Amino acid sequence: MKTVILNGARNEDRWNAVISRLLVEEISSLGHSTDLLTLEGIRIAPCTGCFGCWVKTPGMCVKDDAGRDIAKSALLCDLLVFLTPVTFGGYSSELKKAVDRLIPLLSPFFVKIGREIHHKPRYPRYPPILGVGLMPVPDQEKERIFRTLVERNAVNYHSPFHEAVAIVAGQEETLRATLRAVVARCRGS
Amino acid sequence: MGGPKKVLLLVGSPKGSGSTSEALGSYLLERMGERGIVTEVARVPSSLRTEEERKGLLHAVGSADLLILATPLYADSLPSGVTRLLEIVAAEGGRSPGHGGKSFAALINCGFPEARQCDTAIAICRCFAREAGMEWAGGLALGGGESIGGRPLKEAGGVARNARKALDLAAEALSEGRQVPGEAVSLMARPTVPAWMYTVIGDIGWRLKARRRGTGTRMRDRPYWPDK
Repeated sequence: MKTVILNGARNEDRWNAVISRLLVEEISSLGHSTDLLTLEGIRIAPCTGCFGCWVKTPGMCVKDDAGRDIAKSALLCDLLVFLTPVTFGGYSSELKKAVDRLIPLLSPFFVKIGREIHHKPRYPRYPPILGVGLMPVPDQEKERIFRTLVERNAVNYHSPFHEAVAIVAGQEETLRATLRAVVARCRGS
Repeated sequence: MGGPKKVLLLVGSPKGSGSTSEALGSYLLERMGERGIVTEVARVPSSLRTEEERKGLLHAVGSADLLILATPLYADSLPSGVTRLLEIVAAEGGRSPGHGGKSFAALINCGFPEARQCDTAIAICRCFAREAGMEWAGGLALGGGESIGGRPLKEAGGVARNARKALDLAAEALSEGRQVPGEAVSLMARPTVPAWMYTVIGDIGWRLKARRRGTGTRMRDRPYWPDK
């Protein structure tokens, strides 16, 4: 089984380095291979909302850069992890740049899910999403927004399930426990 | 809070002019300009390319009393370029002279019929205002943004009727230093067209666009699937 970690840290955040190492080691110990993509070092053009990925080059961004490879990796893995400093409750701009480029993975056509309209899936399956948010201090509002955002992304990307944790320093054990539960669920799905 | 003397509209759409974000924001700005408030427009994605452009944008932010972000919804939140700007502006807030006395409002549109799909993005904007030391002036969310399709609101006819009313109310409140009123939020959130009609027209629209580009039969391609 393969896990892809999209790491949205900026400016060599030391705590992020500790957590990304923890994630890789823990996931490896659970028998998954991991691909840690530190986005700050990867040139990805931002999505311009041209929708060329739906009508010009269906299924692929019109920009031929690393954003295409990231979208492919994010689709074909067994677990997709969004690792980010919690930024106003959401993702960092580095992570957001990669997430915005995942839109070619969806179909332009609409489907109703629950009480809302979303885009139809393009592929038969998508990976579960685990959101890992890092906060310098506890902040309930930011944590709530972060959890909601991961949930919303999981609905839009037709993930079979999702989980989100927003932690502060000292809560690494919470992350380990969440990770173990998510990996176990991946094996069962 | 007192009424603002200068308002800066931050357009978050990478499309810039001709975007629904700019159409909505410009209408609001025009109403505020009629009340004697100085207005300025900055297109976020094209203002962050060079250090000089970035400084220019930060100067514009520094000189305004009220910032209004008009942006499309990207993957349930703000586009990456807008997020980057907010990161920079929030960091500036920690330095002298900071953002004390400034207010921040958001105007978000999405391509889904339900305006509530913008709720997370609005919450992110509110959180940004708190972190940057600005006063939160409220948020408006529009669903079914494609039905306006970047047209100036005055020319968009009946589909923009509620949006115009909402922005008139918002302009009045913001000009007087008040938060966007609840009535404006409700009006803006009203569907532009029924959801079923929006999705039927939307699906036909995508097919026509693809056909024009010669990709009509390839719309369901799966380029990354292993069996390719």
